[in-house]
Amino acid sequence: MRRIQLLLVVCAVLISAHGTASRGPSVVNGTIRGRVELRHAPADLARRPNVGDVAMPRPHDATDRRRSVVYLEVAPRAAFDQRDEPHARLDQRNETFVPHVLAIVAGTTVDFPNNDKTYHNVFSLSSTKTFDLGRYAAGKSKSVRFDRPGIVRVFCDIHSHMSAFVLVFTHRYFAVTDDEGRYRLDNVPPGSYTVVAWNESAPTESRRIVMAESGGDVEANFALGRR
Amino acid sequence: MWRALLLLAFCVAGPPAAWAQTLPTGPVSAFDGRVAVGAEVAATVGAEDHLAYFNYTDYEHNTLRMFRVALSASWQPVSRVVLIGEIRTEDLESVRPYAAYVRVRPWTRLRLDVQAGQIPPSFGAYGRRGYQGADSGLIGYPLAYQYLTAIRPDAAPATVADLLLMRARGWRTTYPLGSVDAGPGVPLISAFRWDTGVQLHWEAETVDVTAGVTTGTLADPQGSDNNDGKQVSGRIAVRPTTGLVLGASGARGAFLSRGVTRLLPDPDAPHDQSALGADGEYSRGHWLVRGEVVWSRWNMPFVGEPGRIANLDALGAWIEGRYRLTPRITVSGRADRLGFSRLAAGPGLTPTWDANVSRFELSGGYALQRNLVLRLAVQGNHRDGGRVRTQTFVAGQLAYWF
Repeated sequence: MRRIQLLLVVCAVLISAHGTASRGPSVVNGTIRGRVELRHAPADLARRPNVGDVAMPRPHDATDRRRSVVYLEVAPRAAFDQRDEPHARLDQRNETFVPHVLAIVAGTTVDFPNNDKTYHNVFSLSSTKTFDLGRYAAGKSKSVRFDRPGIVRVFCDIHSHMSAFVLVFTHRYFAVTDDEGRYRLDNVPPGSYTVVAWNESAPTESRRIVMAESGGDVEANFALGRR
Repeated sequence: MWRALLLLAFCVAGPPAAWAQTLPTGPVSAFDGRVAVGAEVAATVGAEDHLAYFNYTDYEHNTLRMFRVALSASWQPVSRVVLIGEIRTEDLESVRPYAAYVRVRPWTRLRLDVQAGQIPPSFGAYGRRGYQGADSGLIGYPLAYQYLTAIRPDAAPATVADLLLMRARGWRTTYPLGSVDAGPGVPLISAFRWDTGVQLHWEAETVDVTAGVTTGTLADPQGSDNNDGKQVSGRIAVRPTTGLVLGASGARGAFLSRGVTRLLPDPDAPHDQSALGADGEYSRGHWLVRGEVVWSRWNMPFVGEPGRIANLDALGAWIEGRYRLTPRITVSGRADRLGFSRLAAGPGLTPTWDANVSRFELSGGYALQRNLVLRLAVQGNHRDGGRVRTQTFVAGQLAYWF
């Protein structure tokens, strides 16, 4: 068994070396960057009116629904190189999932720590990943490994205003936008790509871009939502 | 009911994944979330029950054959004031208000709230839950909150014999005093109507206290006063650890309506409903267990037996559990008992003033999506009296809420 493993490693190194050599010394990877604008700012997630409450509900943090995810529809082969057991974290804090949008590569294990004083019950019925972590108290954490690509909508069974999105990709050419909607995809090999922008509140949009052999920056801006 | 059946058939026959995705998943909100509107629709289909009336409500609907639509809304014009309301229709009959009140938090640093209007009950735990939706895996209601006993606020027995004639007939009672119409009795606590009044709620880290003054009683909530009496009720709840809630409640209020009390030789004779309750909830992992005990006493003056005021006691107790087998499948069960005190009816004759009832319910639920659940339940009932003593029902329900 050890001999077979050694043989596979040697083959992989040789293939990798061949791939790099065949691209030639003048080929440089570039950057795709730009901004995603939302034509209509999505509203915060409201609480369901609960007539049975006898007190003002505790305030919860606003959900940042402006975050978009930009990704390559089809990624270069190098993007699929497996890394070591990636980990990510989706907090439950002040009755809000933080971050609201999490983008990960398939095979990532996501930790769901409860940093509130009340119970939370994280679950998803998405076809990409169906899970239910049950109720667990403050200071505890449970984990889920996401193996399949797709969009996973995450909820709390106790607090209906809590929700988050986990976008699972087969490759690593994706980025979540910052406060101002900017994003950046680095180390993109030369070639022709379709860049897609996703936001939970609007239909996705895509742009066709070409990364030159000399690399450099390519700008792709998006405006999502109805005019 | 046929409309409900047709709707349910339509819903179940279609490809759920396709149409379910078009339904709203959260409340509709406007004005930066200051206005929020939610809804709950539950279509329940089960066998008819025209003999035993085990599941009938004080609105004379069968909870196992009911199409219910509830629309709730809240408006928060300023941070310390909220207006909240809910309207409901059962079996597409009249639309009626279920809740309509204003909530004010006078001081920002003190977690003290005042509510006024048609308010949620201060007593117990079950009455405040949005039960058909997300929170329960069961279809039926606990006996203490739904089962119609033999007594009424608008009509009263003149003698013990009058009362015992109505034993196990709470769904349709007639008495010589007060209203001459046949009508339903009352449950220990109504789950289908809320009372009108003022409520105070204070909460700290591990304890909260609720107290209210209302026009009706637990069994007979009122929109306006019908007997010049007020009910005082309250509950204290402690949360010793996350997931565990223990509560103790009490209530007392004038029960009989003015139409009956004016016929009594002594209009000042006590005719109160008094109640004590204890409730508990514990949840952990995929488990949720709840239970409640409610003791109720009605002081009932019998005009045909001068000077006799009987204490009509009832004790309802239930425990239920819910376990989530998979993210989509939940199983639930409830064991329930409602017992009544004995009454001297003659030499050596001391029957219970109403027939004791036992109930169990087992249910399985399948979540088509987060807020759309299909349930199937089996409910067994046994009563120590009446024409039909034992009956089992099978019911299906499709519940949707946002």
